[in-house]
Amino acid sequence: MEEAPDHECWREWFERHGPGLLLYARQCTRSLADAEDVVQEAFVRYWRNQRKLGGEPLGLLFTSVRRAAVDLARRDGRREVRETQSEGPPDESGRVFEAPLEGEDRRIAIESALRRLPDEQREVLALKIWGGLTFDGIGEQLGLSPNTAASRYRYALDALRRELPVVTCHG
Amino acid sequence: MDDELQALEAELSRLRPLAPSPELSARVGRELGPRGRLIPLWSWIALPTAAAAAAALIILGARPASGAAPAAAFKPVSAQQVLLSASDEGYVQLGDGTPAHRFRASYVDTITWEDPQSHASLRWSVPRDEVRVIPASFQ
Repeated sequence: MEEAPDHECWREWFERHGPGLLLYARQCTRSLADAEDVVQEAFVRYWRNQRKLGGEPLGLLFTSVRRAAVDLARRDGRREVRETQSEGPPDESGRVFEAPLEGEDRRIAIESALRRLPDEQREVLALKIWGGLTFDGIGEQLGLSPNTAASRYRYALDALRRELPVVTCHG
Repeated sequence: MDDELQALEAELSRLRPLAPSPELSARVGRELGPRGRLIPLWSWIALPTAAAAAAALIILGARPASGAAPAAAFKPVSAQQVLLSASDEGYVQLGDGTPAHRFRASYVDTITWEDPQSHASLRWSVPRDEVRVIPASFQ
């Protein structure tokens, strides 16, 4: 468990956890701009009000992102009802990872396969692999049992394996 | 989990999510930085009062030793305005005989300062009555 930050070191925290938070926010929002708004709101809210509450700081941060995304979705929902016009499909073009050693084609294939996962599986995968949460932490975050979180994670990996060609290592 | 799944898991773990843009970091910095915590509505009263509080701390806590934190490091971090009561006091007559409507509201204003280095804090609360006299219009 990471210790709660107790001094004005937000920038260090943001550099360390910002990429994971933004990736998670991308799973819960329609566009990069929305994800950035959500991360900004969540991080500022956490840093100002929640970091001294106790508990697991990283879990609190991800919870804060999730709540901010839900708030944004509700606001968007109301706006769409008012405008009676859809803003179009979610942004599916933006990249979310740096180029891996396996190359750009592999990155594109992985991002594409991730987008095709069911939301609940993709969310668990992001929290486990790039958020660094345990299954206990993910269960707490999403209101699931740790076993359910682990099952969704396994289903996600199985689905990705079916979609992605196996990378063979040479040499 | 079989070897193939473990290899896939390892490959995913090696992927690095993109870092937030400099613009996003700057936006967060504006909200969390020292200047972003000032509340404009209160800055006119917060700054002089902080200076007075700092002066009071220096006077009350004056010691020959150099261990005291610099009082000027206190920064206003929050301002609250709590409405206790509001009443309509009816019609009154202004000096020139013009009728006017008078409203009274009672507040408690609380301002908090904090030294970011030591986290010492100072809270200042003051009751305030606000009376509004609005010339009446009978149309």
